[in-house]
Amino acid sequence: MLEARGLPTVVIALVLPQVEKSRPPRALMVPFMLGRPLGEPNDAPFQRRVLTQALGLLERTDGKVILEDFPDDNPSWVDRPDWVPSVALIAPGSGPPWRSAFAAELARVLPVWDRFKSRFGHTTVGLAGLAPTQWPGFVEEFIEDGLPTLPLHHTPALALRFLVDDIKALYGEAVQADGDTPSARQIDGWFWRQTVAGQMLIALRAIALASPNSALKTVGGRFFVPTPYLPT
Amino acid sequence: MARLDDIPEPTRTAVRDLPCPTPATSPFVAGPALTQRKIAMVSSAALIHRGDTPFPVGSGEVRAVPGSWDNGDILMSHVSINFDRAGFQRDINVVYPINRLREMAADGAIGGVVDTHYTVMGSTDPAAMADAADSIAAALHAEGCTGVLLLPV
Repeated sequence: MLEARGLPTVVIALVLPQVEKSRPPRALMVPFMLGRPLGEPNDAPFQRRVLTQALGLLERTDGKVILEDFPDDNPSWVDRPDWVPSVALIAPGSGPPWRSAFAAELARVLPVWDRFKSRFGHTTVGLAGLAPTQWPGFVEEFIEDGLPTLPLHHTPALALRFLVDDIKALYGEAVQADGDTPSARQIDGWFWRQTVAGQMLIALRAIALASPNSALKTVGGRFFVPTPYLPT
Repeated sequence: MARLDDIPEPTRTAVRDLPCPTPATSPFVAGPALTQRKIAMVSSAALIHRGDTPFPVGSGEVRAVPGSWDNGDILMSHVSINFDRAGFQRDINVVYPINRLREMAADGAIGGVVDTHYTVMGSTDPAAMADAADSIAAALHAEGCTGVLLLPV
């Protein structure tokens, strides 16, 4: 769309069938997982190689459609068999009452999350606009058929949707706080199968789906739990 | 190895079969050598500044990402839950490589970096983004941009 408006473009593409259909003028096809167009976090030389090859396509004049492959996988794609989560958790299978179980687990996770922030200098938690210590009480209101909202969001459904994003982000960051980082698959598997928070979000999805609030039903059904971790 | 076959279902089928309009024309704009180009980024990650309202689902809007924003204040509000966030959590450059572009400009590998980049909600129907494309193009031409890096997630 921008090329038609007079701007030279190059796309770093993650899904080949989409590139084949949309036929952009220049594309670098990369073999990385969805969500990582530059491939490897905290690896400036690797990212620089991706950028150098992608931006280099801007100098090509043999279009109208140029597609190149990036040759290498990002190193952290593979699982780390020796990885042990650094976050001590309450026994898996903990169930309701969710407020107390989640609060107890969160109290253990928060100091580890602080180590992530110290190590990496930032956090991606913050979409909901609610302090983590207030999360268990906010979630409980939904479980008890309330519809609380937050100043940043237009509806209770959106407030909860972005709080769910924040819960996943905080745990994901905490489990990357120390040592060598696990693969993305290992992080997801740990969160959804071994944490109270993961089990609580699966339960919260079921509650949302049963809600008479259609927005909450839609948000809960589509945006809480990734398909591979839905109960069978 | 991260290939289409490695994406879990039903996301694999969804991204493979996503309707992508094939353009009626194939515009191809030439330009100067890379060392002379001023580069901009357009990310589909629905990036926001901490404290801003996230992108609504299906939004066709475009938002500016000023280069003056601290990396630690940039959050991702993309609607999809079926792609990795762990890389972005560790390093924003895996999605929005602002530090790498600045290094390339400092090294002379590219001519420069624009002051303001742009972001959209990637899952939105492109037909809803014509106004956004007009807006981005006008702003980037005004900045003297001569190369745009498109960054889907």
